[in-house]
Amino acid sequence: MNAEKNNTILLDHGAGGKASHALFSEMILPLFSNEYLAMGDDGAVYSVPAGKMAFSTDSYVVDPIFFNGGNIGDLAVNGTVNDIAMCGAIPLYISVGLIIEEGLPINDFQEIITSMATAADRAGVKIVTGDTKVVPRGKADKIFINTSGVGMIPEGVNVSGSRALPGDKIILSGTMADHGIAILTAREGLTFDGDLKTDSAPLNHMVKTMLSSGCEVHVLRDPTRGGVGTTLNEIASQSGVGMTLFEKDLPIKKPVNGVCELLGFDPLYIANEGKLLAIVPEKQASKVLDLIKADTFGKNAAIIGEVTDQRPGKVFLETAIGGQRLVDMLTGEQLPRIC
Amino acid sequence: MGLTYLEKFRDPSLAKNLVAAIHKESRLTLRLMEVCGTHTMAIFRHGIRNILPETITLLSGPGCPVCVTAQKDIDAFVAVSRQPDVIVTTFGDLMRVPGSGTTLAGQKGAGADVRMVYSVFDAVTIARQNPEKQVVFCAVGFETTIPTIAAAVLMAAKEKVTNFSIYGANKLTPPALAALMTTPGVSIDGFILPGHVSVITGVDAYRSVFETHKVPSVITGFEPIDILHAVLMLVRQNESRVPALENAYPRAVRESGNPKAREVMHQVFTVGDAAWRGIGLIKNSGMELKPDFKAFDAGARFELNLTDVAEPKGCACGEILMGLKTPVACALYKKVCTPMTPVGPCMVSSEGACAAYYNYG
Repeated sequence: MNAEKNNTILLDHGAGGKASHALFSEMILPLFSNEYLAMGDDGAVYSVPAGKMAFSTDSYVVDPIFFNGGNIGDLAVNGTVNDIAMCGAIPLYISVGLIIEEGLPINDFQEIITSMATAADRAGVKIVTGDTKVVPRGKADKIFINTSGVGMIPEGVNVSGSRALPGDKIILSGTMADHGIAILTAREGLTFDGDLKTDSAPLNHMVKTMLSSGCEVHVLRDPTRGGVGTTLNEIASQSGVGMTLFEKDLPIKKPVNGVCELLGFDPLYIANEGKLLAIVPEKQASKVLDLIKADTFGKNAAIIGEVTDQRPGKVFLETAIGGQRLVDMLTGEQLPRIC
Repeated sequence: MGLTYLEKFRDPSLAKNLVAAIHKESRLTLRLMEVCGTHTMAIFRHGIRNILPETITLLSGPGCPVCVTAQKDIDAFVAVSRQPDVIVTTFGDLMRVPGSGTTLAGQKGAGADVRMVYSVFDAVTIARQNPEKQVVFCAVGFETTIPTIAAAVLMAAKEKVTNFSIYGANKLTPPALAALMTTPGVSIDGFILPGHVSVITGVDAYRSVFETHKVPSVITGFEPIDILHAVLMLVRQNESRVPALENAYPRAVRESGNPKAREVMHQVFTVGDAAWRGIGLIKNSGMELKPDFKAFDAGARFELNLTDVAEPKGCACGEILMGLKTPVACALYKKVCTPMTPVGPCMVSSEGACAAYYNYG
């Protein structure tokens, strides 16, 4: 295969001819292998169970494509798996669209698709269809990935953002801001002491455990871009309720908090890729918390606040020193301060 | 497990005691001004305003470096970014500040090479890596940042990095305080003086302003305990009617500050007049490159053809910076001027008073 001979992706790899075929059959297919993809048809044909399905899509254009704890590949799989899981669904099948810039080293490509295969295996989903395009140098930034997915929603499950009720407790499944700070420090070449690593992870197993436990879960959402603060604002607005968070209970790793303080960032607005927010009735909060904590990706989970009937649509934070402040939706991108 | 050193400055029980003391001892109605933007944000983030008694009003002063950058300087940064083969480097905060036409972020979107840096030294590195381009650093900030900028200029001079220059809009804090105190209508019962700036200037830098105007003044840090402690000290000074210049941040600030940093600063820069956004020209409040370093002056290197443009009508950033108005009293606040569509820099900077009011309520 001439990709290996040249060690970089060439425009030929996207031209639909022999090089494209070789890239798919020799590199991609062995990694994503399953009975649906192996059919080699234009799309995947599969049976669906009766009931409701969830369908979601997302595109990944992260810079840099490799960062501490992951890369764009596993991020793209985990992201869509989580979007489907946050609908209360069990993710089943996903598609992968790869837009590759000419000149991407083949070794980098190999590492990315290997991570995708590993992430799909870990989540228990199958990559059943996909597409590869190569664009001239400068027309994309190394690699862009789109993933779409479908999943099945079990009978009786409804975890829409419109279902939060006054009195409910708000659970966050782990420490805030890990992903955003890992990306920022990798992108800007900032070096800090401490473990600044992405939290990118599939949350579907955690969700399945919660939903099959018999516990009532009103809302599920993953606080990705915009962070916990923006996500809770969205839910407060959808449900027409108020929320109070308690600063003392917000889980955050010390090194992550240190970077945020140094740069003037509010961790409540920094992206997460392996965390969920669960809004549950008060009487079930401790049981749900225990279930989340028992999951590999939920060890640092905490009840961070409660839903109220005060100030509908607004989220407030009770600070550690006893003050109170508004947590509004993030506007634009957070920019590091000057002094 | 005991508290770590820094956690002590956020200890809820200590905070509670300080708040109780402030409530008990505060009788006079006081208008206290935090001069530094980082203080403004800390006050909002920790919810300090709403745990203080009604007797105390906290005002945000001219201490956010982005907020006080004159519109003409922003226009100059934008004009430089329009020059061919130029890379403009800037601190993040400045990206979204509107000039009279557009912002640096807008210029970046339109194809200009505008890069966010975390240190002026990154700009010198970019210059070294791009010898065919001119690399310009937008030099804003107070005494905290000026010594580093001076050090970068010295480094560029030593290494003969001739494609590096700065567009200077740096400012000094004490002259602004003096100007503030002589502005009609300004009434301030106490200054919460900036911690970071004072690390460089020392306590001595404020002595002349204090001796002239006798306004109670306390230098302090940025943790909630620091700020509450400073408020209590200002309450006590006012209640006892014995104004003083006190240092409540001795863990970082010395009487004489950091002479080495000031030496570097004065090696490269000389004091000059500066235009402050919304306030106007303040004598001896700015920094200009000394003749020996004029080669690093981007203003001289490029023909920018800037014209004076009036500041946006109705924008009260200037009055807000002087404590004459609060953001909510500005006619544009939350109506025309929001973080998404900022009219004035107080709304765009993460340290700006309007942004703090808007984001933290």
